Amino acid sequence: MHISEGVLSGPVLITGAVVALAGTAAGLKKLDLEQVAQTGILSAAFFVASLIHVPVGPSSVHLILNGIVGLLLGWTAFPAILTALLLQAVLFQFGGITTLGVNTVIMALPAVIVYYLFGPLILKKPALAAAAAFACGAGAVFLGALLAGASLMFSEGGFLEVAALLVTAHLPVMVIEGLVTVFCVAFLKKVKPEMLPGYKTSLGQ
Amino acid sequence: MRRMPIILAWVMIGCLISAGVAEAHKVSIFAWVEGGTVYTESKFSGGKKVNGGKVEVFDKAGTLLLEGQTDPQGQFSFPVPKVGDLNIVLTAGMGHKNSWLLTAADMGLGDAKPAPQPPSAAAPGAVEPAVGTAPAGPGLSAQEVEAIVSRQLDQKLQPLARTLALAQDKGVTFGDVIGGIGYIIGLVGLGAYVRYRRQGHGS
Repeated sequence: MHISEGVLSGPVLITGAVVALAGTAAGLKKLDLEQVAQTGILSAAFFVASLIHVPVGPSSVHLILNGIVGLLLGWTAFPAILTALLLQAVLFQFGGITTLGVNTVIMALPAVIVYYLFGPLILKKPALAAAAAFACGAGAVFLGALLAGASLMFSEGGFLEVAALLVTAHLPVMVIEGLVTVFCVAFLKKVKPEMLPGYKTSLGQ
Repeated sequence: MRRMPIILAWVMIGCLISAGVAEAHKVSIFAWVEGGTVYTESKFSGGKKVNGGKVEVFDKAGTLLLEGQTDPQGQFSFPVPKVGDLNIVLTAGMGHKNSWLLTAADMGLGDAKPAPQPPSAAAPGAVEPAVGTAPAGPGLSAQEVEAIVSRQLDQKLQPLARTLALAQDKGVTFGDVIGGIGYIIGLVGLGAYVRYRRQGHGS
């Protein structure tokens, strides 16, 4: 998911940077005092998750965790992911400084999308909630792969071709992240349900 | 617990479909020279070798000299083109790209004379007759001695050159990880402070 330096064309890089900046501004605006610590913890989790290589089959994949970050943070996922990606680029040489904007959009935009799509279902009946949590984790990776394909289509040939390759490569990650999200949500429901989206509104009803 | 078999089945399906597709954050290419041949080795950050990655070799001015594909061991080699500095660029697909700068000095092109031997003559068997046919002592010209020594040195130093090239990639260290987490904790503190002030607790 981390696109290297020198692969993308200028307009793609600029578009990515502008969208990432707008998302980060929106996220910071919505960030209130109670959420600061939570944002930091999830940012740290995202930062470290990329180091966990899961040896599935002949290839090795790594966790992304943008689904759970998005589900718990909403728009604030943008600053959280931007921070983690910046540190990954500087410390690990994953991705790069020029591609920081594009990489942020690739991972944070799906996070926000799954927050709105599946967030409201998380506090429903257990079966529905589990399905929504799985879709949240897997969907965020899937959408990320599509976005990466869209940004690469200008330099690596057709969109369908690149996106299909990316989605196939990330299938194991989607399954793993879906399961991780299901367990996280189930755990938080028992221990700290107020962290889940829609908890306050459901109390009000 | 009853769901475990289904979950495992899904994971296995995922593995089967994704077989052979590499995924990582970073790709690296390493290059070193031995006996008139440039060897390159490419791998992803997880340690997996790049199979079928595109390798392009550019000279200092940015003109494409030659290109090729990595084999299943992530290796690709080509004879030293005698043009000075080389920029070796690896494109591994899905947005992964990296490069390695091989200077003229690395290739032994710094001095006036060209690289001593074509790679075919560097085979160990070829050394014996060369020494045998030459008369000992004064009969052996300085150039011949130089050629033999340089050929032998190339052979002996080749594993060292490879190790040195590969050692350029220090990978992810524990210190980096802890440092990154430290930065995030610091930012949390900063963020909490700013928000705290803004919400009217400041003065």
